[in-house]
Parts: sequence; structure tokens; C-alpha cells
Amino acid sequence: MSRNLVGWAAVFMVGASALIFAAVDSGGPVTNADRAYSLAKDFACPVCQGQSVAESDVPVARNIRREIRVWVDEGRTDGYIRDQLVSFYDEDIDYTPSASGITSLVWILPVVGAAGAGAGLVVVFRRWRLEGEQEASAADIALVAAARAEAEDRG
Amino acid sequence: MSNSSLGAAAVALGTACALAGIVIVALGLAGRRPRWFADVVRLVTVMTAASVASVVIMERALITRDFTVAFVAENGSSRTPALFNVATLWSALEGSILLWTVILCGYVVAVVLKFRHRRDDPMVAWAFLTLFVVCSFFFLLMLGPAAPFGSFDPPVGYDGRGPNPLLQNHILMAFHPPVLYLGYVGFTVPFAFAISALVTGRVGEGWLLATRRWTVMAWGYLTLGIVLGAWWSYETLGWGGYWAWDPVENASFLPWLTGTAFLHSVMVQERRGMLRVWNLSLVIATFSLTILGTFITRSGVLQSVHAFVESGIGPAILGFFGLIVVVSLGLIAWRGDELRSPGRIDSPISREGAFLANNVLFAAFAFIVLLGTVFPLIVEAIDGRTISVGNPYFERMTMPVGFVLLFLMAIAPVLPWRKASTTVLSQRLIWPAWIGVGSMVFALVVGARGWAPMLAFGLGGFAGGAALRQVVLATRRQGWRGLVGRTNGGMIVHMGVVLIAIAFAASNAYVRQGEFTLQPGETVVFADHTLTYEGSDFVEYPNRSERTARVNIDGAKVYEPGIATYPFAGQTIGVPSVRSTPIDDIALSVLQFPEGIDDAVILRVTIQPLIIWLWIGGLVMAAGTVLAVVPGRRRQPTAPTSAPIVEEVMA
Repeated sequence: MSRNLVGWAAVFMVGASALIFAAVDSGGPVTNADRAYSLAKDFACPVCQGQSVAESDVPVARNIRREIRVWVDEGRTDGYIRDQLVSFYDEDIDYTPSASGITSLVWILPVVGAAGAGAGLVVVFRRWRLEGEQEASAADIALVAAARAEAEDRG
Repeated sequence: MSNSSLGAAAVALGTACALAGIVIVALGLAGRRPRWFADVVRLVTVMTAASVASVVIMERALITRDFTVAFVAENGSSRTPALFNVATLWSALEGSILLWTVILCGYVVAVVLKFRHRRDDPMVAWAFLTLFVVCSFFFLLMLGPAAPFGSFDPPVGYDGRGPNPLLQNHILMAFHPPVLYLGYVGFTVPFAFAISALVTGRVGEGWLLATRRWTVMAWGYLTLGIVLGAWWSYETLGWGGYWAWDPVENASFLPWLTGTAFLHSVMVQERRGMLRVWNLSLVIATFSLTILGTFITRSGVLQSVHAFVESGIGPAILGFFGLIVVVSLGLIAWRGDELRSPGRIDSPISREGAFLANNVLFAAFAFIVLLGTVFPLIVEAIDGRTISVGNPYFERMTMPVGFVLLFLMAIAPVLPWRKASTTVLSQRLIWPAWIGVGSMVFALVVGARGWAPMLAFGLGGFAGGAALRQVVLATRRQGWRGLVGRTNGGMIVHMGVVLIAIAFAASNAYVRQGEFTLQPGETVVFADHTLTYEGSDFVEYPNRSERTARVNIDGAKVYEPGIATYPFAGQTIGVPSVRSTPIDDIALSVLQFPEGIDDAVILRVTIQPLIIWLWIGGLVMAAGTVLAVVPGRRRQPTAPTSAPIVEEVMA
């Protein structure tokens, strides 16, 4: 048992260190091109069907990619770039539904649902535990004995 | 007789058989037709023959370019290559319903063969009734809103446009739709038995056992179909991605999620007799989601690259979906009393507890995907705004669920039924945990950074280790039989899932994409790879003309991405070229050959690690599914299904 405990402590130590190191050390600066690409993935191409600005080859999408790159080179924030794009094109260019107003429901409902399901499970398990073991009735015991006898006969 | 009228006759005959089937089975159930099963055999034979004939006739029309058939005139062309000529069948609405129906008939034949010795069982009769209703719906679609055999009067010298160019430039197009349909349609069989269990009141484990293998096979086809679709999109669409949370991708993913939940929760009912309502609901949800998926794909209500037509078929499918939901919910409410499960779960830290958690997570996952997919419609209906819900939403919301699922995948296989002690768990899990930590350290050493991918590698290694442990133990005990059967095959499937999860995390986190304008002879270095543009070529094919760029990667081999123009379809598409290795993929696509600059090219380069493991993972999952349906070790019918707790602690 104690050896096992040491093993698990080691697992957690190594795992946590790896996780923290990977989170803290970004592995070199993100280039402007990479940031522009990852932003372009978050916006819908305004004239395409189901393609992002990053994916699409149509001229509008390429123009937007160019605009995003210019803003990134100017050092603008993600929020600024989003606001610019939404004011030029429309709200539906933004793949991320806003967290205010009616669209916030898309974020809230799954969380509420998951929390509700989790709470439901806790309640059910508590009830099961409180119910305790059910006692076998005389009929149950007789049934099991008969089945055992029959199995022995066959064996 | 012309192909049009022959085909229409075949469809009409099939419809008649399906409708007659409903009547005959109903009479049989009412006791007015004792020999109903013999009639069903005849009807199914004729119905299937009619359906096969309708497909053969359509294929003949496509291959011989018989433009008097409207479908061929609209979607066929004398210039389409032979293979894609055959695949044109499923490149448009009417043909895809033909394919759906013939697969459905195939499944009905299989049900007849499998259950022919249980003809006196009302459960089998009600299942046939349900199957005939579903068949009737699809045949009626082909009589009305999706009639495949409309006729056309082609002018002299007429030639069609051919299928959408995107659907005729890659071999995977020949496989992805039929395999996906085998999955979708396959869920009709467990659905039919679920309905019949509700109607007959035999809501115990009988219907589950009867349809277990059918469900697993359908799930396997669906899995393979989805992976093939991702692969196809990666190879042909040229944006370097494989999954875009497109409404139609989501539509195929939804039944997969509920189906996966069902495959797990079914084991709780078999062992413990619990979760009856839940399992029935999952089967019904899975089947209705395939129908809802068809609605989303075919009605044009949601825009996507897949939604090929705006057609009048929408209301019919939506109506059928509504019917399924109303009837099923009504039946569940009616059988409420009998559905109350007798058992209880002793401890949350047990195999059944893990399956319960698994189901909550898969249900949450499905809810997120469904909500995100239809949310723009809801918002538009409520306050008229058009919004988009895309990649950032789905990734942010599903990532935590994915992490917890990976964690469960690691611990659930080693959990005993009933109750586990921490000693047992810590003994069984220590090596899998080291494999998980080892993968993290390895990833760090080769340069991976970021907490999210790192967590995915760690949990992936943990889950993979747990699956490996089970397989090793089983094969040690039972030899090659340790690889077959539901549990062992399931562990192979888990390994496939782990491969996909790791490849997904790595390719998403470490993707690099750049656009370069290059002159002939120019070289660019991007993400440690050297790309040299050597020049371009121009080739004419019967159905298209293609201008390709010769790009040398790392001085080793030349790849030729290009742009293809299909003059008759009036469309220009990119033809990407991909260099794959087990370590990383370089996807090249030509964005443009700019006018006026001598032979220059604008090239998009996408470099992603581990992409190939997505496809390998998919194949491993398919292989695991096949192993899972091979009968494994049989349990003694009288042996206790749950091992006593005491033994587990001592083990």
C-alpha cells in the first residue's frame, strides 16, 4: 500500500510539473501570421456556406484575412478586431455568440443542464444509499435454493 | 421501355409492397392472418428486388448517359469519369434516397433471415410493422417530393453538367456516403425492436439482446463513415482542416454521440436490469437524430457545403420526425409503470457508476452540439437577428466534456461491477497512469507546449494504457479470444478513440498556416520545412482543365496542387496536394495563379502534426467494432453476473 502511495505521489508530481511547465513556457513568441490565422478561424466568411474566413478562397475572405493581418501588425486587440469586423459586415460574421442578451443562452443552457444532471445523480445515489440493502424475502431464499439444487443436479 | 418508366414502376412496386406489409403484419397481429410471416417473406423479397432494380436502373441510366431520365440530365455528364459516374447516384437528393432505401431493404432482409424462427413472437411482428412503416415513408418520398425517375426531353446534342466538381475529384467520395448510410439506416433495426418492446410491454432485456450486434455494427459503420468524411474533406477542400462543426457534420455526429452512450448504458441494463427508459430513449433518440440529420442535410434549412438542394422534401421529413417523437414519447408514457427499474447502483465508484457518468457526459455533449447547430434558427425565429455559432463555441464547450470522457475511459475499464475499493483501483491504474505521465513528458521533450494539448496527451496516454492493460490481461488468459467479444473489441475501439483524441489535440494546437506568393525557382522556409516552387503545368482532361504548381518539399519530392476548372459545371475548385508522414502533414493548395505576374503562384501551406493518426484511429475503431461483434467467451447462463465484492478487494 505504501509503495503504491509513493508511486501515485510520483505520478501526480511528474504530471503536474509537466502540465505547469507546458502552460507557463509558451515555446517561443506567437508570430503575427499565426495570430492572424487563429483569428481568421473565428469568423465566418460572409458570402460562403459554412466556411470560416481562414478556410475560404473567395476574394471577400481573402480581403478580410488581409485586414486582420494589418490590424494584428498594428498591435490591435482581439476585441478591437472583432468590433471592426462586426461593424463592417454584420453580427453573423462572428462565430462566437455574444455572452449577453438572448444569445447568452447558448452558453448558459448546457452548463445549467450539466449541473442539473450532476445534481440529479447525487440525489439518486444518496437515496439509493439511504434505502440500504434490501432484505431477501422467504420466497427469494427458496427460489435461490431451488435454483442451486437444480444446478447441482445437472452438474 | 425507357429507364424512366421502368424505374418509376420499380419504385411504385416497392411502395406497394411496403404498404401491403403494414396491412399484412397488422392482420397477423390481430390474429386474422396466421400465416402472416410467409407473406412478409414474399413481400420483403419483392420490395427488395424492386429497390435493387431501381438502383440498377438508375446506375444503368447514369453509365449509359440516358438523359431522358431527369436525374441523369441534371447530375450526369458524358465527361464524368467512370467511377464518379457510379457515385453520381449519391451526389444529389433523389439518388441518395434511392441508396438509403436499398440499404434499408437490405437490413429488412437480414432481419427476416435472423428472426425467421421467431415468427410467432409478437415482438418480432411489431418490429416488422415498424420496419414496414419506415420503408413506406422512404418509398413514398420517392413517389412524391423526391421522385428519382422524372423524365426529361433532351434537345439534340444535350450533355449534362455532371455532379458538383467537389464530389467527383476524390476516390473517398465513392465510399464515404454509402458507409455513412449503412450506419444511419442500421439504427432502424434497434429502433424497430425498441418500439416493439414498448408496444408488447416486454421492456426487459430481451429486445436489447436481440439487437445488440445490429447496434454495434450500425455504430461501427457510422464511425467509419464520419471518419471517411473528415478524411475526404481534408483531402479535397484544401483548407487544411478536417472538421468544421458544419451543421451537416454535426448532424452525423449527433446520432453517433447518443449511439455511443447507448452502447455503454446497455451494459448496465443487461447486468443490473436498470436504465430501461433511458436505453429506450437513447435508441429512439439515435434513430430520430438520423432522420433529423437527413432533414438538416436535405431541406436547405441550414446552409452548409453539404446541403445540396433546397427541396420540397423538408416538410415531409420533419413530419416523419415529429411522428416518431410523438409516438415514442406516447409509448414510453403509456408503459411508465413497467419501465420502473428494479435495481439500484451500490456505489458511484463502480463500473455501472462510470457508465452512468459516461451517459450524462455523452448526453451533455449531444446537447451542446444540437443546441449550437440549431441556435441560429432559434434566435432568428425569436428576434429576427442572424447570428453564427461556430468553431470557437463548439471547441470551448466540448473540450471539458472531452477531457472528462478521456478520464472516464481510463478508469472505467478497470472498475469492477457493484463496488470498487481504492486499493484495487490504485493497483490497477498505476501503470496506465505512468503511461499517461510518460506521454506528457515525451510531448514536452519533443517541444509540445500549452496546458490543453498537454492534458489531452496525458489523459489519452492514461486511457490508452488502461485499454492496453485490459487487452494484455485478456489475451494472456484466453489467447486470441482475448481480442474478440464485446469487452475486448471495445478496448480496441478505445485505443482508436485515444489515437484520434491525441491527433485532434495536436493538430488543432500546433497547426501552422501561411500564404506565400512565389515566383518560379523561389524557395520559402516555413515551420522547419523548405518549399521550392518549380513552375506550373497545364493539363486538359475530358471533364476539366487543371493548372498545377510543382512544389518541391524539403528537396525530396515534388507535389502538385492545382486549380481545376470544370467548364460545363461552371465551377473552379482547388485541388490540394498533401504530403503525409507519421509525424506531420504538409497540405498545399493553390489560392491563385495571379494574372499579369509571369507564372507566379499564391500558395497556402498548412502544416499540422499527427494528422495521419486520425485516419489510423478511425480504422482501429472500425477494426475494434468488427472484433466486438465476433462472439467472445460465453458466460455460463447460471453463473452470477456480478462478482462478489469480497473477491474484488482481495484480487
